Amino acid sequence: MAHCERASKPLLQCLQKTYTKALPGLQLQSTRAFQSTALAREEAQAEAKSVPFHKAPDPALVTSPQLERRLLRQGIAPIGSRRRRAALQNASNIPFEQLPYQCFQEARKVLVADREEKLRDITAMSEKIARLQAVPTEEAGGEQVKKSKLRAMELHLEHLKILADINDPLVKKKFEDGQGDLSKPIYRYLADRKWREYRRKILVQRITQMKVIPDVLPHCDPTVDTKLYFNRNQIQPGEFVNAQVSTTAPKLDVQLFEGGEKLVTIAVVDSDVPNVEKDGFDFKMHYLAVNVPISATATKVDLSQLSTDSQVVLPWLPPVAQKGSPYHRLSLFILEQKDSKPLDFAAVKAKETERDNLLPRTLQARYHLKAIGAHLFRSQWDETTYEVMKQIGFPEADMELRRKRVEPLPYKRRNPSTFR
Amino acid sequence: MRPLSPVLASLANVFRIPITRAPVRPTLTNEILSSTSTPTSPRSFSTTSALSKRKESGYRGDRRILLIRYFLHHPLTPRPLRFSRTRFLRHWTIHRAWNLYQANQRRAHELELQRQWQSMQAACEELRTGAGDGGKLFRKSMIKTGVFRDLVPIEYARLQTEGPAREGWNFEWKRD
Repeated sequence: MAHCERASKPLLQCLQKTYTKALPGLQLQSTRAFQSTALAREEAQAEAKSVPFHKAPDPALVTSPQLERRLLRQGIAPIGSRRRRAALQNASNIPFEQLPYQCFQEARKVLVADREEKLRDITAMSEKIARLQAVPTEEAGGEQVKKSKLRAMELHLEHLKILADINDPLVKKKFEDGQGDLSKPIYRYLADRKWREYRRKILVQRITQMKVIPDVLPHCDPTVDTKLYFNRNQIQPGEFVNAQVSTTAPKLDVQLFEGGEKLVTIAVVDSDVPNVEKDGFDFKMHYLAVNVPISATATKVDLSQLSTDSQVVLPWLPPVAQKGSPYHRLSLFILEQKDSKPLDFAAVKAKETERDNLLPRTLQARYHLKAIGAHLFRSQWDETTYEVMKQIGFPEADMELRRKRVEPLPYKRRNPSTFR
Repeated sequence: MRPLSPVLASLANVFRIPITRAPVRPTLTNEILSSTSTPTSPRSFSTTSALSKRKESGYRGDRRILLIRYFLHHPLTPRPLRFSRTRFLRHWTIHRAWNLYQANQRRAHELELQRQWQSMQAACEELRTGAGDGGKLFRKSMIKTGVFRDLVPIEYARLQTEGPAREGWNFEWKRD
């Protein structure tokens, strides 16, 4: 303990001197007057002062090994290195936006002025929208004109809302720490951008390379981030999943990047069920649920926890691949219901009773659905498949598929007289 | 390096042995043995060919990689720029503010140019319609002949003053 404190002392002394000199010159203004975080921090400090430090050690500041051990016994890990904590003990805790660096402060002034301007733009634009809405349709130039005008103005308003916050370093920091509040448009925008940078590209590549897109659905432009978990293990798109693992229904994490709530239909379909009679492949619906609400903040969907009497049309059927059959692609689609209106569950349940050959295309046409998210995993014959087959009563569990021997064409046959 | 004898060369050609740089006989036989015993040895992803990998080949590695290493680890090479979290955030803030400032300046400049062009056009339009001569003045002023030949008078090449002084230098002048 003593070492690190001694080591960080000169640095801290010089830092403190600059702070004391620079601080009174700073104007203590906060960009966001309506946030209460600063107040909360002051309260916490006042509280901590009343109790001696060794009674209630702060995990961000503790340096002595005894106190650290005590904290660890309580189940709280100290934050950062001991040297860092020792440095923080003596540092005056200046909030980030008041750090006394001249160029930084000048830059902040520019950004704050820009934000003010953007806020003015936002109020002006929302007033303009309200005015246009008040105008009767005939004066505005017809239904279509008014609608398109309103739509364009709302889009511009959304854009302005993002522009107002995109330059804020604290927003960036919060987002990078994963503490962004996704009910706010700026964090949704940042999350969307991050998703599109890598994960969406991977997903689109997998579903197009494995030909899910023309096979199962003609077109899909994913706009929601979908993560799939089997027993808390995340499955990457296109991964092979053990048959034993996929006996339980997966959990989903569906991240919507727009405001508001959406009702979606979730369908898991196997597009590679071998059909020996017609020498081809069939479809099989492994799961179907309708009227699942998702929003930007409520993202978790547990497929086994959805209510059976208002959402689940076809419960989870564990996917199995017969021995010798090529791997099965199990594609999961998040289908947006039209205008987020609930489907009539009883009618859907009465209609969709047959799992075999229930095509997603049919569903899409029948209920006016639109694919907004996709995921994919694969299953093949492995050592646990046989037990799973017996559990679910799969017919012909102990049958192996073999390729038929193809007789070579006459001119390709080995011909001993000419073979030399 | 000694060239192969013609007999050896023809034999090598028949048995399809690649003629190497230093075809000393023992290494040649070693090469044949190794190539026949392990025809497809699993090699990792490497641009070095198997022959140059051998110790006695005298191969010193890829020259480009050597140079990259040399300059990257040279003591005169400055260390990479590494920032702490807050310092990076401060840097980012300044960067964004600078970009914003430049964008605003560009926009203001563009608007100014647009304003100037429009006011010029408005003046021309006024001349065409409002002068009361059926647009004759406007048409005359739009004739562009000689605009690149008959340029500004040569006197304007010099800063215009009241005129050259009659006497070149006022020697009587003294500072008060």
